Amino acid sequence: MSSADRQRTRWFLRNILPHEPALRGWLSRSALSGIDPDDVIQEAYTILAELEAVDTILYPRAYLFQVARSVITRHVRRARIVPIHAVDDFEQLDDAASPEQQVIDRDELRQLARAIAAMPLKTREAFVLRRVDGLPQREIAAQMRISENTVETHISRGILFLIDWFGRGGNKRSQTSRNMESEIAALDGRARNQSRH
Amino acid sequence: MAERETSRDIDQAASTWTARLDRGPLPPEGDEAFLAWLSGDPRRKGALLRARALAMMSESAQALGPSFDPIAFEAPKRSPLASLSRRQALAWTGSAVAAASLLALGVGMPAAGAVIGTERGEVRLAPLKDGSTVLLNTETKIRVRYSKGERFVTLLKGEAYFSVARDEKRPFIVEVNGHRLRAVQAGFRVRKLDEAPVDVLVNEGQVDVAALNQPAFASTVSLKANTRLTLSDSANGRSAADRPRPIAPEAVTRELAWREGKLAFEGESLQQAADTFTRYSDTRIQIRDAGLAREPVTGLFAANDPVGFSRAVARVFAAKLEQDGDNLVLTRGGLHGAGAH
Repeated sequence: MSSADRQRTRWFLRNILPHEPALRGWLSRSALSGIDPDDVIQEAYTILAELEAVDTILYPRAYLFQVARSVITRHVRRARIVPIHAVDDFEQLDDAASPEQQVIDRDELRQLARAIAAMPLKTREAFVLRRVDGLPQREIAAQMRISENTVETHISRGILFLIDWFGRGGNKRSQTSRNMESEIAALDGRARNQSRH
Repeated sequence: MAERETSRDIDQAASTWTARLDRGPLPPEGDEAFLAWLSGDPRRKGALLRARALAMMSESAQALGPSFDPIAFEAPKRSPLASLSRRQALAWTGSAVAAASLLALGVGMPAAGAVIGTERGEVRLAPLKDGSTVLLNTETKIRVRYSKGERFVTLLKGEAYFSVARDEKRPFIVEVNGHRLRAVQAGFRVRKLDEAPVDVLVNEGQVDVAALNQPAFASTVSLKANTRLTLSDSANGRSAADRPRPIAPEAVTRELAWREGKLAFEGESLQQAADTFTRYSDTRIQIRDAGLAREPVTGLFAANDPVGFSRAVARVFAAKLEQDGDNLVLTRGGLHGAGAH
């Protein structure tokens, strides 16, 4: 990663990622058929990744929500059938700061330790060797007597695990977002069925 | 139009690329493939940014030091129940109390012993006349026999949570599979399911466990709060080998989530979670993919809603869900059409 990349990534980590559970919650509550909150989130992040500069953004949370809204508006326009209330619903934006934003700053290390602890065993072993002990993947392969490709797969799974953990599931605030998963999924499932029949 | 990738697929690919970059610099052809991937879908750059940010965050794990033992962190700090809304909890308590007041009529017959049971999917609170209560989980049966010297309850099958009111003169005894669990004042769960050994979990107070046919001093094990004990059948004489294990308070809360009509999972395999649901309804969740069956599940779900659970699972693991009568069938792959038109 170039140093500019690293800087952008760090900014994102500190200023955007902590709001993801809130954003997902908001997107899910106002769920529109055919629009998956996770698609919107990724696309919004792409917009943030492509920005020339981010240091002019004073209120990252508000900005993130605004970007997400623009993504939705685009999707809604693209969709063949637009529910009449769709756009209006999204005007009512819950933008108040909430405790969720502290998830990553506070107790970050403890959260991380817990996330690592919850990983599948082999993945956890590889991930600990890589991140806690700082061994390069090649040495981890030798130590665990597995191929380098397998180590890479474990590291990749570990990262995916963290994406889920911090964005969706295991951490304290966003637990509710996972709890709501069934409701979200119900909406989602309906949308899928409609799109296939 | 080609099936659209799910956000999950993209996260997976983003994690793979992040891991590959972590391994070392990409060869030229790899670089090309990477750039091609990045520009292939408007969600990918964003997903990569997130994957990298989390990889960066995980670098701080180094601060955990070489003595870091993940096992010490295996239990989460917060109980999933904390996020239950008060309204839900109250709604449930209300119905339980209503059920309980009906049941109270049946409990007062001492000699023969009153049998109290629940159907599949039912949770029921049975207040006993001394002020203790028994909360019965799905498909559970107990027999209550109170005498002058003992408050005696037999767990015939299923799972029950006993809240024992203090009475030093009259111990509260739960008999299960030839074991006597004795308490003066305690809150504890006992589970007796067909294929599994009896499982005792103490939430509050103390419970003394002894085999029925042995002198009390010979084999009594005392369980304190936040301890769990599995009991092998005393018939094979191995009960003394069972050793109590301490269990984190959060894990206790999770184990007891059924008291609120919920099931809590924290990294259990999807197969285990699906099996748990079968206790609560006639709907069966079938997982037709070994890898999918091993996926870890985390979250709090309504025990009586296997469909909602399966939908959530399908969504999280990009699996396909089909309903076939009472069967819910989960298969991996094939369904990437979330946004396809």
